[in-house]
Amino acid sequence: MVKEVFFFTEMGYTAYPQDDARQRGYNNLMFPNEHFSPERARELYAMYFDELLYCSETGFDGVMINEHHNNPLSMMPSVNVIGSVLARTTRKGKIVFLGNVLPIHENPLRVAEEVAMIDILSGGRVVCGFVRGLGQESIATNVNPVYNRERFDEAHNVIIAAWTRPGPFRWEGRHFEYRVVNPWMKPLQKPHPAIWIPGVVSPESVRWAAEHRYPYVALAPPLHVIDEIYDLYDEVAQQAGYTPTSENRGYVIRVCVADTDEEAYEQGRHFFWQLGTSFGIAPKHWLQPPGYVSREARASKREAIRVGAVNITPGGPPLSYEEAHATYQIVSGNPDTVIKKLQHVIDVVDPGYMIFWGREGLMSHDVAIRGIDLMTKEVIPAVKAYRADREQGRRRLGLAATG
Amino acid sequence: MSATNGAFTETFVEAAGLRIQLRRGGDGPPLLILHGELGVPGWLSAYAQLAEHFTVYVPSLPGFGQSSRPEWIASVRDLAAWVSWFARDLKLPAPLPVIGSSVGGWVAAEIAIVNSALFSKLVLVAPAGVPPDDGQIIWDYFLHSTRDAFARAFADPAGAPEYARFYGEGWTPDDDRQAEWNREMAARLIWKPYMRSHTLSTLLGGVATPTLVVWGRQDAIIPVSVGERWARAIPGATARVLDRCGHAPELERPDEFVHTVREFLLPQA
Repeated sequence: MVKEVFFFTEMGYTAYPQDDARQRGYNNLMFPNEHFSPERARELYAMYFDELLYCSETGFDGVMINEHHNNPLSMMPSVNVIGSVLARTTRKGKIVFLGNVLPIHENPLRVAEEVAMIDILSGGRVVCGFVRGLGQESIATNVNPVYNRERFDEAHNVIIAAWTRPGPFRWEGRHFEYRVVNPWMKPLQKPHPAIWIPGVVSPESVRWAAEHRYPYVALAPPLHVIDEIYDLYDEVAQQAGYTPTSENRGYVIRVCVADTDEEAYEQGRHFFWQLGTSFGIAPKHWLQPPGYVSREARASKREAIRVGAVNITPGGPPLSYEEAHATYQIVSGNPDTVIKKLQHVIDVVDPGYMIFWGREGLMSHDVAIRGIDLMTKEVIPAVKAYRADREQGRRRLGLAATG
Repeated sequence: MSATNGAFTETFVEAAGLRIQLRRGGDGPPLLILHGELGVPGWLSAYAQLAEHFTVYVPSLPGFGQSSRPEWIASVRDLAAWVSWFARDLKLPAPLPVIGSSVGGWVAAEIAIVNSALFSKLVLVAPAGVPPDDGQIIWDYFLHSTRDAFARAFADPAGAPEYARFYGEGWTPDDDRQAEWNREMAARLIWKPYMRSHTLSTLLGGVATPTLVVWGRQDAIIPVSVGERWARAIPGATARVLDRCGHAPELERPDEFVHTVREFLLPQA
């Protein structure tokens, strides 16, 4: 059953000229930053933070935040800065970091310190996610993508050790080396904030999350790849000696609720605000710089299903708005319609945590607030009540392999 | 096997702990070829011509082509150590001449810096490793596709038979996967600092091996002016610039390239 529901927005910088991006064939990494206006960003931040604050006060269990670089997709190039603002402007609800981009940091101890600070500032409300970052982010920060996964793994180990092992101690790894690990600041939550691993269903990340018993949060994938994701998670968990429950599963889904189905359907188009896509456009060699996708992953059946799937993950094939609805990458409608659709999603995924990606693009503040009201008053209570009295478990679609 | 008709063998050899794809042709004295960051696409016309005078050894360097990829080779200097062991394990009689292209030239120079006994002569073909003059940059492979890179390596791809032969219409998805695999090895070697060493220019002053630096005048990967830096850095080095030629003279101007190399390696011929 769904235990908690969170709100998410990418905080898009919506004021850039899309015609220019269309002509160039990309809207990130090297898209000229002369198109960024700090004054406009200030207005957008004010609106987005007001909405997040409103969500935390009206019925969401918290908000999700993330991090992207060189990209108008998101005005959050530092998840920890966003999180620290929320730590002091919200009074309740979790702050779900999905997450810190571990491989791009030269000093992961700094991440350990910052997240610990935010956990204390927020009164222990941090959920700490770790991600590999988009391919472009390895280029934007000039960290060798060949070692992305190794650095992810080792940075994670540094951070967990810094939080849990009494200091001072020495760290000598392949990518990180410290004479003294002894951060003064440690998290309020013990042994440390919950770790969640979000992803766009890279099998290696699913496997890694299961090995570490961390919940895996699927980032708005097509519903028909869910069996592949969580079958793998379950396999690895069984090998590791435990049986996953709904609390091992998180699910991000684009949700647009309005008073009528028709209005919601039109407003939902804002999720495709960037040249008709959700994530923007970039050439493949930016999305997949050398070594970012391993040879094993390229050869895997699961990867083939993921990449071959009609999806709106970065680098996926183009997807129409209609197809996005058909594959449950977006649900829209009046509250009753959305509740019915989400019940189907819950049947298939059985997530313990749902994250409503609830506003995007040029959707107006008023429309966003109306959507939030309908979510908190009608959708969230129904979602949490659904199957509360029934046996848990995923109801496999069983068609991924042929989908 | 006759070298004159371009015949060569392609085998796998165990050398210095690795399984290596090796192309070999000719029956004269040995000549070692070290390819660049894009890998080696096959038995080039230039190699066939050189095989009329030498036994030409063209290994796919570790991590490139079909050769195995060890985790430990993570820098040009690591690769240089391996190449010297490769020559030892193949029992190539030292000293022998070497031709190194781009990153392969850098590898050859790294060896010559610390071991003057392995190579009799160095031919460095638009070698990487030395930064360009202020205001100039080395073209960034990693912001572009591999297809872009192949085209960029030629001054005039459309006019180059070797471009059509290796990168033209016969290009397959398997070729694409191989190119991506090579690119990944290149990223291991040269991602950062990109295509340059902060110490190489100084260290080149210790090279005691006779050296020829060859550059394409229209090189759009590493500017031709870098060739002057190399020629100044290595005592006694000579430089030759080929016209209507990009970053891969051995592919784009095989006849002129071989002529220039022969003059240097076989001056009495």
